[in-house]
Amino acid sequence: MPEQKEKKGGLRGLLDNVQEVIYGMAAHDMSRAALRTRASMEHLFILITMGDLLGIPILPPYYSLRLLPYVVPQISTWKRRMLREKDVSDAMF
Amino acid sequence: MGLKETFQQNPNRRYIMFGGKGGLGKTTFSAATAYWLASQGKKVLVFSVDPQASLTDIFQKDIFGKGPVKIMDNLWAQEIDADSHIKAYQNEIRKKILDMYGLDAVPEEIENYLQAASAEPAMEESAIFDAVVDVVVEGSYDYYIYDLVPLGHALYYLSMAKVYDEWINKITKLREDMREYEEMVSRLKREKETEQDQILQELLYIKGRINASSAILTDKNKTAFFFVVVPEDMIIVDTQKASTLFANFDVPIVGYVVNRVIPHDLLQQNIPDYLRNRIQMQDKYLDQIKTTFGAQVLANVPELERDVTGLAMIEKLAKIMYG
Repeated sequence: MPEQKEKKGGLRGLLDNVQEVIYGMAAHDMSRAALRTRASMEHLFILITMGDLLGIPILPPYYSLRLLPYVVPQISTWKRRMLREKDVSDAMF
Repeated sequence: MGLKETFQQNPNRRYIMFGGKGGLGKTTFSAATAYWLASQGKKVLVFSVDPQASLTDIFQKDIFGKGPVKIMDNLWAQEIDADSHIKAYQNEIRKKILDMYGLDAVPEEIENYLQAASAEPAMEESAIFDAVVDVVVEGSYDYYIYDLVPLGHALYYLSMAKVYDEWINKITKLREDMREYEEMVSRLKREKETEQDQILQELLYIKGRINASSAILTDKNKTAFFFVVVPEDMIIVDTQKASTLFANFDVPIVGYVVNRVIPHDLLQQNIPDYLRNRIQMQDKYLDQIKTTFGAQVLANVPELERDVTGLAMIEKLAKIMYG
């Protein structure tokens, strides 16, 4: 976890705040959408390389094992996402 | 052109492969060729990619899983132990997971996957494939002689390089697309450089290994592939089919070597009809081989009085094959 930045006072602090407001208004939605797409791709990637975890046989297993260490933290969210059924929240978010 | 000339006229062909149906003499020819080249002063490694390798039997020396073992001057032999290769590989992955996340034990789910993946049918071949890359890339021998697996498996082995290559291209592309999105977010958030994608690095490493190996397998200047046949109907038909398939994978087929030809001088002697009939049958199929494969038939190797095991018999066979 990155450490909380110290609040700066004066003009500099004001500028930072203005910048964040502008970011929130203009770019936040875009970056959220980009992150969401990125996350879907991440899940697709794990499906292609580690599909066997769900019982979908995917060739070739030998080299895909090399990638296993990097996706360990994502495995459980990925499984949940792959195995869940569609619900109302899919349309909302 | 004979066998010997194909070697003498193409000194750049350092990767020699003998393929064919099971039990026709791939290992025998590999050993004899290795012996001949070594006795010509070339540094030779003969190695087996067969999980049921028989180099140990032919050299009468236990070499299984021991790395390159010296057989005589200039000649080394190696049998790859796929099982222990896989085990070592698994441990490497486990250790990496533990190190990366500071864990004491691999999470159960991941451990189960590791075990299940290793039991897959393709795993053994893939492990051998990977080990062969190590052997061949190292490159300190003048000649590498592959004692191949029987036809079906060999095709699988050869096609693996293609499958891997396509697979890896697809996921590398996906990974690069992901990276673009990541960079876009960092630009929007005005963050500094995104971290290096380690997965992409791994993918590129895997790609490099696969290409190194498949480039060798299909290089007409460096590689020579010989089919072993015997004068029998079924074998000829199967070999013909296989050679078409191999050609599709760009395997440079140099020629055909006929094994187990019963010597014709026997006809002068008082031999039983049984043997006489077999010689007649072989003559018929030898003609068929000649019309089917033409000038690519490089040698007819006689059936010897006993099986070829041990250096003395290998030497005898090498003399017959290469003079």
